Amino acid sequence: MPARQAPKPLTEADAIRLAQAGDATAFEFLYSLHGRRVYALCLRMVREPSDAEDLMQEAFLQLFRKIGTFRGESAFSTWLHRMTVNVVLMRLRKKTLPATSLDEVTDPDDETGGPRKDVGAPDLRLSGAVDRVNLERSIEKLPPGYRTVFTLHDVQGYEHNEIAEIMGCSVGNSKSQLHKARTRLRELLQEDIRQHARDERAAAKSQTTEGD
Amino acid sequence: MRGSPQCQDVAEAIEREGLSPLPETVREHLPSCVACQGFVADLDSIVTAARQFPTEVEPPARVWISLRAQLAAEGLLREEGLATEATRGGRWWQKGWGHGFSGLLQGRALATAAVGLLIFAAGVAQLRHNSSITPPQPIVKEQPQELDPLADSGAALRTQEHELRSAQPAGTLSSSPVDDSLQKDLQTLDAFIAECEYHLKANPHDQLAREYLAGAYQQKAELLAEMMDRGRSVN
Repeated sequence: MPARQAPKPLTEADAIRLAQAGDATAFEFLYSLHGRRVYALCLRMVREPSDAEDLMQEAFLQLFRKIGTFRGESAFSTWLHRMTVNVVLMRLRKKTLPATSLDEVTDPDDETGGPRKDVGAPDLRLSGAVDRVNLERSIEKLPPGYRTVFTLHDVQGYEHNEIAEIMGCSVGNSKSQLHKARTRLRELLQEDIRQHARDERAAAKSQTTEGD
Repeated sequence: MRGSPQCQDVAEAIEREGLSPLPETVREHLPSCVACQGFVADLDSIVTAARQFPTEVEPPARVWISLRAQLAAEGLLREEGLATEATRGGRWWQKGWGHGFSGLLQGRALATAAVGLLIFAAGVAQLRHNSSITPPQPIVKEQPQELDPLADSGAALRTQEHELRSAQPAGTLSSSPVDDSLQKDLQTLDAFIAECEYHLKANPHDQLAREYLAGAYQQKAELLAEMMDRGRSVN
């Protein structure tokens, strides 16, 4: 008598096929498989949890509406991330960007994406360890395109060829955007250090004045 | 200070080839340039810090609930599961409405469905409000929690329902419009209870969902009591 086989666990490919036929369980399976990653990306891009939830829901809604057209030419996660990035960028374009003037703190060399060359000013070191809170704040100040590439590459761990597919750009463009994002972040963090030093000097000065 | 042609080459090489591993031209240049050493070290620190950010964050359960409701509303879900119970309720409501129930019974059914929907909508709104105040928490593996005393209430109701069915064998069940309406109210309530229990399984500490479930159990107990009373008076 043949031994009874345990039911085969649902794979992503099975779930996609079932979801294309409208299977509710398959939808939930795909959501549970990718939801945490998509939510993390949305949260990193917009910061506000309620906005991230809306964006995530919109991305999955689009995904499930169009899942019948998925032919597997690219990885499913890449396809999903492309939709997510499109939804996020669309929302960010509609919103007015933060009033922080990047020109005030950065003036990157557009040719190389290199740092601003302050004649006579020494390069400020970030002391080897970057404060995560400061970094998050600085990421928020990046233009959406830089922020997306930086998040996909340096946070989520995607390769440039995958990012190119997600963003609909060339690999070279992805590399260039990433480099510019990193150098801008460096300058934003350096500006934080300068501001901190200015604040400390001002506090010390006011204490001295009070002492007199 | 960075600015020499070699320093420009460093930036271009890093842009082209990345930081890890460092391109050969960069490695050759670094020992002789303190500024570029700082530049590379800073970029490296930024990347290291970024890699410590979580790549996955558990979204609140309400996102899936809301998404599922939207999918059901758009008719994208095919399976007859928990996900479509609400839709089925809606369809019953639409079909059954014109089938000659008295105004009073229509009102009862509508009130039950409306209360369920209002509770659900208020819950979603409140949960959204709460989430905008508290930042998202990192993923925490939660131990499954017993639904006590809710679990006891659920079990007691199932026993009560079983007794009701046993007391009224299929052939003797009244098929009056009143009984039909009560049966359908019970189905609507059961669908809502199933939804709450499903949500609580995934989020055992969701106090709001527990309150909804307790309220639904209470309604079901009253409904079953009414059905038993009717059974006694009919038989």
